Amino acid sequence: MTVRVATLTASLILVHLTLRVALGLGNEAPDLFLIAVLIGSRHLSLGAGAALGFGLGLVEDSFAMSSFGATVFALTVAGTAGAQTRHLFVGNSWTFLICYFGLGKLIRDLLAWLASDPAIRNTFADQFVFESPLLAIYAGVVGTLISLLALRGTLRG
Amino acid sequence: MFGRARSRGLLSALGMILLSLIAVFLPAGAQQQIGHALRESLLKPFVEVHVAITQVRSRARDYDILRAQMDSATGFMANHRTLAEENRQLRSILSLGDRPEVTYIPAAITRQTATGSASVFRVGVGSQQGVPPFSAVVTDGGLLGQVQQVYSGYALAFDWSHPGFRASAMTTDGFNHGIVETEQGQFREQDRLVIRGVHFLSELDPGTEILTSGRGGTFPRGVRIGWVAGVAETRAGWSKSYYVTPAVYPGAVTYAVVAVTTPVPATDTSVAGTPVDSATAGSP
Repeated sequence: MTVRVATLTASLILVHLTLRVALGLGNEAPDLFLIAVLIGSRHLSLGAGAALGFGLGLVEDSFAMSSFGATVFALTVAGTAGAQTRHLFVGNSWTFLICYFGLGKLIRDLLAWLASDPAIRNTFADQFVFESPLLAIYAGVVGTLISLLALRGTLRG
Repeated sequence: MFGRARSRGLLSALGMILLSLIAVFLPAGAQQQIGHALRESLLKPFVEVHVAITQVRSRARDYDILRAQMDSATGFMANHRTLAEENRQLRSILSLGDRPEVTYIPAAITRQTATGSASVFRVGVGSQQGVPPFSAVVTDGGLLGQVQQVYSGYALAFDWSHPGFRASAMTTDGFNHGIVETEQGQFREQDRLVIRGVHFLSELDPGTEILTSGRGGTFPRGVRIGWVAGVAETRAGWSKSYYVTPAVYPGAVTYAVVAVTTPVPATDTSVAGTPVDSATAGSP
């Protein structure tokens, strides 16, 4: 991981905490934790990518009164998958990046939903008909813009 | 060499995934401790900023609204000043036991928007201020929710939209009783409050006020929950359920009081206490 990528990942984490915790914004703010995991893990080993997801998942879940661990699990898997993608997908075109971040968000939401307490989680239709697809598009666009603007020339493959 | 490093990485990744699954299935107490440790260390500066912003917003509330609320409260107190004494005398004549004393502790309400924290809010008072778990959180409109986890300087509570919310309820005349809970819709916006277990022969008209009944001692008696909106379900010969329009919309609340119920000694015949002035009861 280069200094530039590490700085970007740390900045995304800081901005996410500022927007979501300090300013109390909900889904108006993109899921920058996920974007940080997906960007960082592509420059890390499998274990380190999983550890990054695990750590950020713990922070995200610290406010969860029920279903603690659902985000930890989802982001750990996302970090592992993100680290693996650099061996499978080569390229840094905007189409790849949009699919990478968008699908990453959908899979993260699906995993978190599966690991959540069935008694309190949203219904599948509520979560995946409107909310998650829209948030996936949002994460895809924001993640792509950040990658193209901040990591120009450093993206691998 | 490269293959061995990669398989080592895979093993450590699988180990992390296993750890994350362990986190899902940890006992609730351990999960709460981890969450509390993170909130009080890494997240504390962000939480403090959020609390400060919420307080500034609530202080900037329209002066006219506050003035109108104070006028209403003053009028209400003037009209009901003798009620406490009348109530004490009547209870004495009927040899009724004392009602539990209720203390109201003012608190700032802040919400987090992290995943899994839907319906959960932070109450700005905790065990240091004498808040026990399962206390009612009440606004000027009515019942907001219930405290669940209490820490030294704050508490976490859920509002009535949480699937775990239950409150014993009654109509204002005290004739009809039931349990108010949340009925989840297909979409989150379709979640509704329902009062279940009302006597089958009862007929509650739309607009009938629903209050807490105080049964079970968790919530103080007489806190408004909402108004009947219509019949939800009828179980032939047994009971009816009614939809309830909530009195409080949780997303708009920035300030509330925590109702702490304390048993009254047998010799004390005072009735429910009056709200403590927020200026003297400690900052939220």
